[in-house]
Amino acid sequence: MNRRFAAPIAAILLASLSLTACGDDEPTTAPPGQNDQVKAGVIAIVDVAPIYLGKQQGIFAKHKIDLTLETAQGGSAIVPNVVSGQWQFGFSNVVSLLLAQSRNVPIKVVANGNNSTGDTKNDFGGIVVKDPGITSPKQLEGKKVATNALKNIVDTSVKDIVKKDGGDPSKVNFTELAFPDMSAQLEAGNVDAIFVVEPFLSQAKAKGWRVIGTYADVDPNLCVALYFTSKELIGKNPDLVKRFTDAMTESLAYADSHPDDVRAVLGTYTQITEAVRKGLTLPKFPSTINKDAVNKLADLSVTYGLMPSKPDVGALLP
Amino acid sequence: MTNATRPGPARRTGIPPRLLGLLGLAGFAVLIEILPRVGVLPARYFPTTTAIFGALADYAGDSRFWTALGQTLRTWVIGLTIAVLAGVAVGVVIGAVPVLRALTASTIEFLRPIPSVALIPLVVVLVGSGMSGTLVLVVYASFWQVLVQVLHGVADVDPVARDTARAYHLGFGYRVRYVVWPTALPYAVTGIRLATAVALILTITGELTIGTPGLGKLMDTAYNSGLEAVPSVYAIVVVTGLIGVLANNATRAAERYVLAWHPAVRAELPA
Repeated sequence: MNRRFAAPIAAILLASLSLTACGDDEPTTAPPGQNDQVKAGVIAIVDVAPIYLGKQQGIFAKHKIDLTLETAQGGSAIVPNVVSGQWQFGFSNVVSLLLAQSRNVPIKVVANGNNSTGDTKNDFGGIVVKDPGITSPKQLEGKKVATNALKNIVDTSVKDIVKKDGGDPSKVNFTELAFPDMSAQLEAGNVDAIFVVEPFLSQAKAKGWRVIGTYADVDPNLCVALYFTSKELIGKNPDLVKRFTDAMTESLAYADSHPDDVRAVLGTYTQITEAVRKGLTLPKFPSTINKDAVNKLADLSVTYGLMPSKPDVGALLP
Repeated sequence: MTNATRPGPARRTGIPPRLLGLLGLAGFAVLIEILPRVGVLPARYFPTTTAIFGALADYAGDSRFWTALGQTLRTWVIGLTIAVLAGVAVGVVIGAVPVLRALTASTIEFLRPIPSVALIPLVVVLVGSGMSGTLVLVVYASFWQVLVQVLHGVADVDPVARDTARAYHLGFGYRVRYVVWPTALPYAVTGIRLATAVALILTITGELTIGTPGLGKLMDTAYNSGLEAVPSVYAIVVVTGLIGVLANNATRAAERYVLAWHPAVRAELPA
């Protein structure tokens, strides 16, 4: 009896002892002379290639930052982790940050993320249709369009593109789908149009489907995403925030001038195959934040009812 | 083992049941190979068996896969261990003290049906999306499986045995060890087997939805890496399935070993 009782328990205890030794450890402020342990929350998509490249090229180490990249499914999971201090920095799309600002979430932008290529024919995100009869955005009136999230940057962009083409954005029906699921739904005819980003955009184009509008149609310099931190960290460790901004700025400049390195680094944190990596359209990675483009998105967000009044963009941006 | 000689319904065919099972599996694999090829299933979104195993072979040479596998197993085992130890300890104590049992019954029945996944938003905000976040989900879900079984087991103690132990003035420790535990053990083992499966489900769910490092997250990156990476998504589904099968077999074997004296297990052997 005793042996039967003891054996499984002992085995379980032993397993847990040997395993718990390697748990998560909290980042702490580095002693003088050593690098700061920093965690940044990103989404494992094309847009965040510069931060991976900056880490790979030793740019963060040069600024005395030991960077650990944590990935999340979306900005909604990153913001709480940054505000609570689990992660020091985060990556999020501009509209989500504007929404956070309008709700007084204590965050502040520290560096640029990524922007439209400015080429309306060749951008990294755009509206794709399968029906050859649809040739212009205003024809999306009364049609079903897939967006990755409602009341965010993608549907706001689609509405703006439809409006600029002379259509009525309020007549477009949006439905929520994850980017990876969109092509299949368009193929099956469950939606009439999809807004996809790379690598799905180039794969949709390869099927012969038509792109009828892109981020560049909203604004040639459209700022899609930014890096941010908590106001708490700015108050507690302004030097670290400044070093992160410097490293990020340098990483963005490096990424923008080394597209082949960007395509290579994509293979390290995504599972995009090499052939697709070579062919996809990369975003622009300007090292400075285009304030006009952010203001424009803030205005559009108010126009399309995402927030009641324009948030304080000046307070959100550095 | 005596399994091979165990009589079963397949005996009539003359083929051992285990072989028949493998044949069925092979048939399924062939079906998955054919359906996308002939266009019944869209090959782009539902790859063939060979494409899935090709992706699996690619993973075998990828350190990211082995790291993720290790992370998943770690979260799973730690979560399960905590849940089992806590479930057994709490179950024995509550079950042995009638007042405690009456006091906690309603609370347990309220908390137990809450699906662990409903706690995800709360966990992300309170604990974060690291391993500890998923651990909370795993422990929450599997703890109840063990606790409820142990409670039933403790309640099942033969009143004569209990009264005899009391008449001999056995202490709490002795009563637990010689009266309560032998009765509760088969129940506890069932609870542990259920918890093993539930803990694996929640581990993968946590990785997939809150982004805790592991197989679930690797699957999510594959899912977000374009249509060329679709077979990789299925490859990870296959791996998680294999882990589930191995875990079930392991708990079954442990059950037979621990309960070798129990009539329910002994009856399985040919007379």
